[in-house]
Amino acid sequence: MRLGQNPAKSIEHVPQPAPVTVAIVTYIPFLGGYYAESLEVLKVCLESLYQHTPQPYDLLIFDNASCSEVQDYLKNEREAGRIQYLILAGQNYGKGGAWNFIFQGAPGEYIAYADSDIQFFPGWLERSLEILQAYPQAGMVSARPLRTPAALYSSTLDWAKIAEDVQIEEGSFILWEIYRDHVLSLGISEEQARQWYDSRVDTRLTHQGVQALIGAAHFQFTLRKVVIQEFLPFQMDRPMGQVRALDELMNTAGWLRLATCEPLVRHMGNTLPDSVKVTQLAAATSRPRLWDQPVLRRTLLRIYDAIFRLYYAR
Amino acid sequence: MRTGRNPAKSGLEAYTPKELGIALILYIPSQDGYFANALEIFKMQIASLKAATSQPYDLLVFDNGSCRAIVNELRELYQAGEITWLVLSRHNIGKAGAWNWIFASLPNPYIAYADADVLFRPGWIEACQEILKAFPQAGMVSAQPNFYDVMDGQGQAQRALENNSDYQAESYQPSIEVIDEYCLGIGATPELAERFHQQPLPGIQHLPTETRAVLGASHMQFLIPNSVARQVTPLPATKALLRAETMSLDHKIDQLGYLHLSTRQPYVFHMGNTINERLLTEFQQITGAAPAIPKANPNPQKQPSLIRRWLSRMARTPGAQRQLQRIYNLLFQILHSDNR
Repeated sequence: MRLGQNPAKSIEHVPQPAPVTVAIVTYIPFLGGYYAESLEVLKVCLESLYQHTPQPYDLLIFDNASCSEVQDYLKNEREAGRIQYLILAGQNYGKGGAWNFIFQGAPGEYIAYADSDIQFFPGWLERSLEILQAYPQAGMVSARPLRTPAALYSSTLDWAKIAEDVQIEEGSFILWEIYRDHVLSLGISEEQARQWYDSRVDTRLTHQGVQALIGAAHFQFTLRKVVIQEFLPFQMDRPMGQVRALDELMNTAGWLRLATCEPLVRHMGNTLPDSVKVTQLAAATSRPRLWDQPVLRRTLLRIYDAIFRLYYAR
Repeated sequence: MRTGRNPAKSGLEAYTPKELGIALILYIPSQDGYFANALEIFKMQIASLKAATSQPYDLLVFDNGSCRAIVNELRELYQAGEITWLVLSRHNIGKAGAWNWIFASLPNPYIAYADADVLFRPGWIEACQEILKAFPQAGMVSAQPNFYDVMDGQGQAQRALENNSDYQAESYQPSIEVIDEYCLGIGATPELAERFHQQPLPGIQHLPTETRAVLGASHMQFLIPNSVARQVTPLPATKALLRAETMSLDHKIDQLGYLHLSTRQPYVFHMGNTINERLLTEFQQITGAAPAIPKANPNPQKQPSLIRRWLSRMARTPGAQRQLQRIYNLLFQILHSDNR
């Protein structure tokens, strides 16, 4: 039975959510192989966020069944007051499943999403919000200029052509170094990157005095919560590979997909950037290696995946 | 940069939510005073859920800013696989604030909510589902007869059943034991208990299936279809535990045309914040195990001194009670306030 009155009833006010919820999904099942440096990458991600986000925000981390080392780190960050909402999932819920959870639950009016391998630079949130406010039709804004497939930004282009007071410019507005830095971070060869760079141009818009490039990406973006709720729930039966649907849905629904003109975030991937590297990786050799042979490589990948599946199925 | 291929992209299947998701909100800012037994009671709740729930379920625990020791305990439960999703909120965002999270984001088709001090008995989910099946307009179904009409007789949704020949209104008089148990759970005053004994409850029957229910549901525990839960958020959430805010759930449910219903038999019991022999016996019957209650103080309690007894008597006078409550609450706020 209840004895006495619950003192929680005497709490006059509870903290109200910050206007922006920064949401990050983590999945580091073990610290080895592909994930050997992932915890260090996550630390860089969060440290850069703390350092370069002066605006009020709530940090929400959805951990998709990472190993205990990662959860210990996140728990310590929460205890230090840096994470407002830490969600620990007992099993991998898929990136789509995590998105369903965070985009429906996140209390902020704006949600700034990032994968856990993103490094933030000064002004990333300020510039993203500036674009969202200057372009009321903006669906998602990435804090890095990108060249994305034209099929995913057709609505943005269509809107720009008919909207009043919108200046459209075409040209090469993304410097090669900036483009290269991102594309190489995806594991693409320099040759391929150069080929892509030379074959595409950028479209820059100016509206209400605010410039933005056309195109956005689902590894990092800021949006209004009310917009993302149109597209929920996402399919979530696989851990990854289904989130591209957001780009397509956003474009089909007529929302703008935009990016800042400056690189204000960076995709680190699963290795630390040179500037913050704490461990020396073996120097890469330009000589073709035995395991680069396609047949051998496929076989090794299969074994690697099989081991992972065994681990995952524990 | 990315080196190698992310193994998570290799087409592995992600976790698929179960049909039933159970959500509990926990707030234990310290392990003394009002909350001295709260952790043990919560563990008893989890154990009773496990023993009394006949179908698979996902368990979400929303921790609303409990103290570090409790968070550590929760993590142990999570690591032991007892909790599917553990949400650790840095601050207490209020019960309605936590509901906003739960109702908006739980993926399961059915959501069973309970405060963190509810004992579950076998058959609770079957009884609730039977009512949901017979009353498709049900928005909330509690597994215990509802004694309080939170809508104060103003509920509109049930009127839709008045002209439906499949349903028949009927009054229901619970047994003395059921009323006494309810009164014990909420710590009812003798006057309130007397009122409950005198006043029959409004019941309703679905004639084709002979399914009987009580009109009204309780915030303490209820089953809500996900499709309904999604429609009621966001709820206003400015205080930790304000009746007006939690009641906004009822008003929304009613405005949307959904019914508040409850079972005629108590399949849950409000444990509150005390553990007694009766509770321990029932817990053991449900789970087949004794709860891990911390050992009692080995030093037997001495008879309180005359001064202490006099002070106790004084403290029970209405004026002194109010003052003590104010001081206690003030201390609570000082000790557990967020510095945000």
